Amino acid sequence: MRYYAERVARSVLTVWAAVTLTFGILRLMPGGPLVQLRGQLSRRNMSPEEIENQIAVYRERLNLVDAPIHEQYIAYLSNLLQGDFGQSLKEGEPVLQLIGEALPWTVFVMTVATILIFAIAIVWGALTAYKEGSTFDKVSSVAGVLLGSIPFYVFAFILLLFLAYQNKFFPASGRMTPLTDVELTVGFIIDVLHHAALPIASVVVVQAGLQMLSMRGNSIQVLGEDYVRVARLRGLSDRRISTRYVARNAILPMYTGFLTLIGFNIGNSVILEQVFTYRGIGYVMFDALEVQDYSVLMGVFLVFTIVLVVAVLIADLTYSWVDPRVKSGDASEAY
Amino acid sequence: MASTTVETREPDSEDPVVELRNASVTYDDGNSYVLDHVSMDVHRHEVIGVIGESGSGKSMLAESMLDSIPDPGVLRGQVRYNPSEGEPIDVLDLTTEELRQLRWEEISMVFQGAMSSFNPTMRVGKHFEETLSAHDADIDEGLAFARELLQDLYLEPDRVLNSYPHELSGGMQQRALIALSLVLEPELLVMDEPTAALDLLMQRSILRLLRELKEKYDLTMVFITHDLPLIAALADRLAIMYAFHPVEIGRTEEIVQNAAHPYTRALLNSTPNLDAPIEEMVPIPGSQPAPINVPDGCAYHPRCPLADEQCRSSKPDYVSVSDRHTSACYHWDDARDEIALNYSENLGDAARSGGDE
Ligand code: SF4
Repeated sequence: MRYYAERVARSVLTVWAAVTLTFGILRLMPGGPLVQLRGQLSRRNMSPEEIENQIAVYRERLNLVDAPIHEQYIAYLSNLLQGDFGQSLKEGEPVLQLIGEALPWTVFVMTVATILIFAIAIVWGALTAYKEGSTFDKVSSVAGVLLGSIPFYVFAFILLLFLAYQNKFFPASGRMTPLTDVELTVGFIIDVLHHAALPIASVVVVQAGLQMLSMRGNSIQVLGEDYVRVARLRGLSDRRISTRYVARNAILPMYTGFLTLIGFNIGNSVILEQVFTYRGIGYVMFDALEVQDYSVLMGVFLVFTIVLVVAVLIADLTYSWVDPRVKSGDASEAY
Repeated sequence: MASTTVETREPDSEDPVVELRNASVTYDDGNSYVLDHVSMDVHRHEVIGVIGESGSGKSMLAESMLDSIPDPGVLRGQVRYNPSEGEPIDVLDLTTEELRQLRWEEISMVFQGAMSSFNPTMRVGKHFEETLSAHDADIDEGLAFARELLQDLYLEPDRVLNSYPHELSGGMQQRALIALSLVLEPELLVMDEPTAALDLLMQRSILRLLRELKEKYDLTMVFITHDLPLIAALADRLAIMYAFHPVEIGRTEEIVQNAAHPYTRALLNSTPNLDAPIEEMVPIPGSQPAPINVPDGCAYHPRCPLADEQCRSSKPDYVSVSDRHTSACYHWDDARDEIALNYSENLGDAARSGGDE
C-alpha cells in the first residue's frame, strides 16, 4: 500500500513541477509574453487603442492578471484544477477543447503503433534468439540497428513519396476522408485505419527493430538460465518451455518500456503529424508554435507531461501484478 | 505410492543401476577430454560420493548418466541403465522421446544452484504439476506424494507449493528441489554439488535430511562434491576424480582410513578434520591439468612425490587393493607408508557422528 501511495505522490509532484515550470517560463520571458505580442501588433499598423484592446484580450486568454506573483500562481493553479487552460490567443477557443479534440487521434495512432512494435519485436526477437548465430539472426540484428538509426520522419517521407504520391495506395494527409459522418460503422473504421496506416507504419518500422534487439538479448539470457535447462531435463514440451519459461521471463523486463514508449511517442507526434498533416495533438502544437500561441503551447506541453507521467505511473502500479517477484513490502523468508 | 520399507536394503554390488563403460566426453572435435574413459558402476540402494576439485570432470560424470552433456560436448562409450524390472537400456541409443521419458522418471538430477533451478515467475507447486503431467503421471496422486516428500524435508507443503521461488530461502528452495527431483520416484538421483551455495549449517542439515530420505525410500544416489568430509557422512562408497577419471574407488571407510592412491591421501591431508589443527592441513602443490594438456603416463605424476620413470611413461591400470577397492597407481602400497595421514583413523566415524546432531 505504501508503495502505491509513494508512486502516486511522486507522479503528482512531477506534474506539479511541470505546471510550475510553465507558469514560470511565461512570466520569465523578458517583459512577459505581452511585450512580445505588443511588438507583433505594432508592426501591423494598428492604432494604439486597437493594440491596447487586443492586448487586453490576450491577457484574458492567457489567464494573466494584475496581482502579486504568488496570487497569480494560486490563481493559475486553481484555474488548471478547474480544467481552465486559458484560451487560444488567435481564435479564442478554450485550449482544453482544442486538445480534447486532437489528443484521442494521437493516442489512437501511437497506441496502435506501440502495440504493433512490441508484438513484432517479441516474435521476431524470440525467433532470432532461438536461432542465435544463424544468417537470419545476423541479418535481423543488422536490420534492427539500421532501421533504428533512421529518424522516423525520414522514413515517413519515403513512405509518403512511394505509397501516397507515386502510387495512391494510401491518403497523403488527414484523419479521415473529408465530410464522412463520424459514426462507428465498419466503413468509418476502415477509413480511419486507412488514413492512420502510414503514420503508424513509419513509427513501427523504425522502432520495432530496436525493441526486437532487446527482446533478443533478454531471450538469449533466459535461454542460458539454469531453470530452462532443468525444465528440459524434467521433460517439459518445447512449447511450454518457450512460452511459460522463455517468453514470459524475457517479456517482463520490457513491460515498463512498453508503457513509457507510448508516452514518448505521443511526444514524438509533433513532427510525425506535421509530415502527414494529421490533426492530432502534435499538429496542434506545431500550429501554435508557428503563430506563437502561448496558451495552446503550454496546454500541450502540460498534456505531454501528464501523459508520460501517467504512463510511468500505470507501469509502476501494475508491474507487481505482472511480475510476482515485485511484491511491495513482501520480504523473502529466512530458513 | 510411497514405498515405505521397514528394513533398509543393503547396496548390492551385483545389481548395478547404472554401468558406465569407457564413457568419454570430448570437446574440440574429440581433441580434449573432459571425461576420460570412465568405467564405473552405481549399485542399487547405495550412495556413491564422487569427489574432485573443480575441473576434475566430476560434473561431466554426473551429466553423462542422463546423457545431458551441455553443447558442444560429445559423449561416447556406453551408459547402461538397468531398471529394477525389465530389460537393460542403453542410454546413448535412446531416441529423443525415450530419453525425455527416462530423465526424471528413471534418473533425475539436482543441480548446483537450486536458487536458479525454479522459474522465477511460476509458483513452486506449478513446477510439480507440470512435471507430473509431462510424464503422464496422475496429478492428484503425484501432488499427494510431493506433499509427503516436502513434509519429510521439514517443509510446510501448502506454503511451499503456493510460494514463488523468491519467497523461499536458499535452504527451502534446495529442499523443494530435492522433493521435485523425487516426485516421479526415480531409480537414481544424481546430485551435482547440491549444497554448494548454502552455508555450512544448512549443508549439514540437508545431508542429514538426505540420509533420512534415503532410508525411508531406499534411494540410490550419486552425490558429486568437492567436500570430502561432507559426503563421507552419507556415502557408502567414494570415487576420487583426478584429471577427468576416477583414480580410486572404494568403500568410504576404506578410503578414509586406508586410501591407496597418493592423490587421495594428499586430498585427505588438505581437508580440515577433527584431529588436525588448521596449520597441519597441507595443500597439494601444483594444480589439476587442463583438458588440453593432460600429462602422459599417470596424469598425477607432476605433483606426485612417488613418481618414477614408469609413472611418467605409461598410464597405470586399476589394481584391486582389497575387496571392492581399486586404485589406479603403480605404487599404491608405498603410498600408504610414505604419505602419512594427519589424523587418526576415525574421520569417517567422526564425520558420521558429526552429522547426527
Ligand atoms: S602412478 Fe606413479 S605418479 Fe601416479 S599416483 Fe601412482 S606413484 Fe604417483
